[in-house]
Amino acid sequence: MHAMTQPVPASRPTSAVKTPADAADLYAEIFREQPVSLEVVSAGRLKQVGARPPVREYLAQLWSRRHFLWAEARAKVSSGTRETVLGQAWMIINPILNGLAYYLIFGLILDTRRDIDNFLGYLVIGVFLFQFTTQCVRGGARSIQTGRNLIRAFSFPRASLPISVVLRGVLNLVPTIAAMLLLIVTLPENETWTRAALLFPLVLALQTCLATGIALFFARLTTVLPDISQLISVGMRIWLYTSAVFFSIDRFEKFPWIVGLMEANPMYMVLDAARDCLLYATVPEASTWIGLTSWSLGALAFGFLFFWHGEESYGRA
Amino acid sequence: MAEPDQVDPFAHATVAVQDVHVRYRVPSTDAAERRRRTNPVARATRAVLGNDPKVVVRALSGISFVARSGEQVGIVGQNGSGKSTLLRIIAGLENPAKGRVLAESTPVLIGVNAALVPDLSGEQNIRLGCLAMGLSPEQAQAAVPEVKELAGLGKSIYLPMKTYSSGMGARLRFAIATAANPHILLIDEALATGDAAFKERSEARMQGLRQSAGTVFLVSHAAQTIEESCTRAIWLNHGRLVLDGPAEDVALRYRKWAWAIAKDKPEEARTILERAFSEREQTSVHVEEPQRPRRYTSRHVRPQQPSRRPDNGKG
Repeated sequence: MHAMTQPVPASRPTSAVKTPADAADLYAEIFREQPVSLEVVSAGRLKQVGARPPVREYLAQLWSRRHFLWAEARAKVSSGTRETVLGQAWMIINPILNGLAYYLIFGLILDTRRDIDNFLGYLVIGVFLFQFTTQCVRGGARSIQTGRNLIRAFSFPRASLPISVVLRGVLNLVPTIAAMLLLIVTLPENETWTRAALLFPLVLALQTCLATGIALFFARLTTVLPDISQLISVGMRIWLYTSAVFFSIDRFEKFPWIVGLMEANPMYMVLDAARDCLLYATVPEASTWIGLTSWSLGALAFGFLFFWHGEESYGRA
Repeated sequence: MAEPDQVDPFAHATVAVQDVHVRYRVPSTDAAERRRRTNPVARATRAVLGNDPKVVVRALSGISFVARSGEQVGIVGQNGSGKSTLLRIIAGLENPAKGRVLAESTPVLIGVNAALVPDLSGEQNIRLGCLAMGLSPEQAQAAVPEVKELAGLGKSIYLPMKTYSSGMGARLRFAIATAANPHILLIDEALATGDAAFKERSEARMQGLRQSAGTVFLVSHAAQTIEESCTRAIWLNHGRLVLDGPAEDVALRYRKWAWAIAKDKPEEARTILERAFSEREQTSVHVEEPQRPRRYTSRHVRPQQPSRRPDNGKG
């Protein structure tokens, strides 16, 4: 035995502060007179478990789990369609059918296309890209709850869970974008492709940053107050209708303050920039780029720090 | 006290649990609890929202001990005595309300209710579990055959995990958790579900882990298991540490106590429990922080120096 045990006069609680728990601790009172053996351990060699590491170390830990994140996202993407007959083909069929359904409703039945060039393209880009954000935010908000089994089994940086949801969204987005481009090219509204289209991946990257930030933010918020998850679907619906997905912002020309508000909305910026690149062969304005970049990076930094700050609390969720 | 720079005489301590308290606030349907709160507004609100009153459950109170390398520590106690909570706290999956746990390396917990991803096959779960524990893809790939063999599930390893029986799931989890060769392994009744052949293989595996200078914690309410395979035992009762000592002694007393409870002899059980309580030696864990040189010394304690120009760049 390597214990250097030595008798110590009386039991002293390790923390000086008396809590109500101590007062009610009858056993502690009864056995106060017992001999106490003192064990000394060095904090240099032993590290506190479950403690929140500093931001830089946390980022390094996340980076070292990148293989886990990737594997988990890939495994879950393919398991969603595993029990269907058509299997992975659904990942591309589904968005095409969706796009056609929206065209039927908003383009032909409700006829909202009056003042928009290439309405189908406009609609498809709006719907598909917005769907990605919705998926990330909803999945992110639930990620701690659905990942509870993993949380209780392994210790890993918990931000892996919402980030993995976003990764899954990105993997789902790949066939969706393919379907989107297919629809834009094949359907009867002619397109001119310019180099502006090359900027589209940049827009997507910024959108992904934005979605990650929001997903991290809500992931912690729902563990603090589970009621938030009930509000998220309502919130996302309101956001959908205020992001000019189905109609043009020109409808509100008479109310400049509404236009101003909508233009400050980061998802509107995403959709606007994507449409400029893909449909209207123009490079998005500098103001859009600046606004979108600051929204995305700001959301990512804020969401990450907010989530990191609660790192020690997720085990109880 | 020893200087921090000198050779650490406690080089073999692997886990230190310092005065850990855990409390939960959980809803209770106890009618007495419902009547207790007299505030009519709070009662009416609860009734309208359909919420049950919350009670505080003390899962662990003032647990302290130090475990060393090469030890296999059994934790005994009746159901609900805080055994699994203690393991989760040691694993760092949950944080105590008061006190702290220090460990040499990241402890790995194998629990009964820790399902992996139910939609994925056993094989995919092995890889995912290895990656989650921080192995690189190559290491994970290399570990797969060994884990498969230890789990011994045959062709079932390729089926989705949701189709597994609880015993099969437990075997797979045990096999995955030992793949990373953890130095500190926490096992929550995992072995109780395996059959005889698996039991033998897993015990050999644990023996190996223990010999590689590791510490194993084993939770079980079967004192027999503890007596056979552990070197030291900790007896918990209602979240309190009753006794901490050699496995044979603690397990024997626990068995006598459990027998007295089972035979409905509360007086005898109380005597055993109180004797154990009075004979236990309390442990007080002191954590010595290594002294680091100060990064910034306040002006009034600084030695006199020729004045330097203030630094006004930010680097």
